[in-house]
Amino acid sequence: MRILAIETSCDETALAILTERKGFLYLEKDIVYSQVDIHKKYGGVVPEVASRKHLETIMPLLQHTLGKNKLKNIDYIAFTQGPGLVTSLVLGVATAKALGLASNKALLPINHLEGHIYSNWLTHQELQSNKINIFPSVVLVVSGGHTELILMTGHGQYKLIGKTLDDAVGEAFDKVAKLLGLGYPGGPIVSKLALMGNAHKYDFPRPMINSHNFDFSLSGLKTSILYFLEKKQKINQQDVADICAGFQLAVTEVLVKKTFLAAKKYGAKSIMLAGGVSANTFLKQNLQNNADKLAIPFFAPEMKFTGDNAAMIAAAAFYRLKNKKARLFSGDKISKLEPDANWQLVVK
Amino acid sequence: MKEYKSKTQSETEKIAQAVVKKLQGGEVLALVGNLGAGKTVFVKGLAKALGIEDNITSPTFVLMKIYQTSHATIKRLVHVDCYRLEKVDDLDDIGLADYLHDPASIVVIEWADRVVNLPKNTININIEYINSQERIVKVS
Repeated sequence: MRILAIETSCDETALAILTERKGFLYLEKDIVYSQVDIHKKYGGVVPEVASRKHLETIMPLLQHTLGKNKLKNIDYIAFTQGPGLVTSLVLGVATAKALGLASNKALLPINHLEGHIYSNWLTHQELQSNKINIFPSVVLVVSGGHTELILMTGHGQYKLIGKTLDDAVGEAFDKVAKLLGLGYPGGPIVSKLALMGNAHKYDFPRPMINSHNFDFSLSGLKTSILYFLEKKQKINQQDVADICAGFQLAVTEVLVKKTFLAAKKYGAKSIMLAGGVSANTFLKQNLQNNADKLAIPFFAPEMKFTGDNAAMIAAAAFYRLKNKKARLFSGDKISKLEPDANWQLVVK
Repeated sequence: MKEYKSKTQSETEKIAQAVVKKLQGGEVLALVGNLGAGKTVFVKGLAKALGIEDNITSPTFVLMKIYQTSHATIKRLVHVDCYRLEKVDDLDDIGLADYLHDPASIVVIEWADRVVNLPKNTININIEYINSQERIVKVS
């Protein structure tokens, strides 16, 4: 089985070809064209620019990825249908549809968040070999647009157990960076400065840490930093580092506590981290330490799969096919496929 | 222009509820205010008044979220966030064309000062952060 995957949900144009070798996943191609440098000067993503850039890059990338065999050896075409920016998604969806119509290969629409979860399968051979029982797994999905605790009871089976009531974790990092006059994207900058700061110098709130559910709230934490800056008025470089460290600790403590409370309640056999914020070493380390104490296996994606990529979309498609959970579209049905910008992987 | 003072989140929500009473559908609400001023809190108030059961979360990342209401005539609340956008010439760029001027929709835009050409019937809502105890909400 050989899968071509297309991912264009935000500002990366990505393509991958995934197959299986000796019982393990094997990536024949894995290409990510990032537009981050283009959008950096705007301090965020500009949808119109992102859309045009996808249009420019997707055909050359596709030719490069497929090579002279074109679609001959491809069995399935997987693509990100949502969630994401509709103006970006539409390019990947249109490309997949065109390939599907022209080649008669079956299409598989994949949820972007499910892709992030499967970046763990790409990373860890022990997940691929299926030797350990990891289900049910408590999955913490944290990114610029998402903060969710998901109970994964099997391949393609998800239950939402908690979510943010306002801002996402990645967004909170971006906005705190903005309040402190730091650059974009905020996550890597704040966590780097935090290394030089004293996390216990200033005490920021841990919103909802004792609420009797698995929901999160990060907007108030951002506002508390605003109040703090107002009161303090003048801050020096060390203060900025201390604020970054204190903020990161506050966020991490809430995330870690709720993840492990959920693990206890649902009898989790493993813990997983997924999404762009899984690149945060401090969060990863804290989850790992707690998992070690309880002797529960903990999985996080390797760095190159933390950001948006098509390999993870291919991996999600692979396990959907393997477990007979794939929604396949071919022939006339293809024309009905549209981007689904607000696609919820799981509904409470 | 109407000016309100808010001391708490629930007061900001109540101001939003007062604004909803004057809406007929098809309007655009342009929200302006700094980080932490209470723009999302205001939208949560709008949602409550329109009978939306879903929790309103920040649309910063996806730019636009759409909620179904249980209001008699206003069927949809379209929540837009321009925080990540540099000057936008046209709201069509962010895929709003389907909802602008739709009498069954209300469009609320956070960071509306980053959009250049807002429609004529736009209601401006300015949330000014005075201090941690006080916000001033101006509706015009």
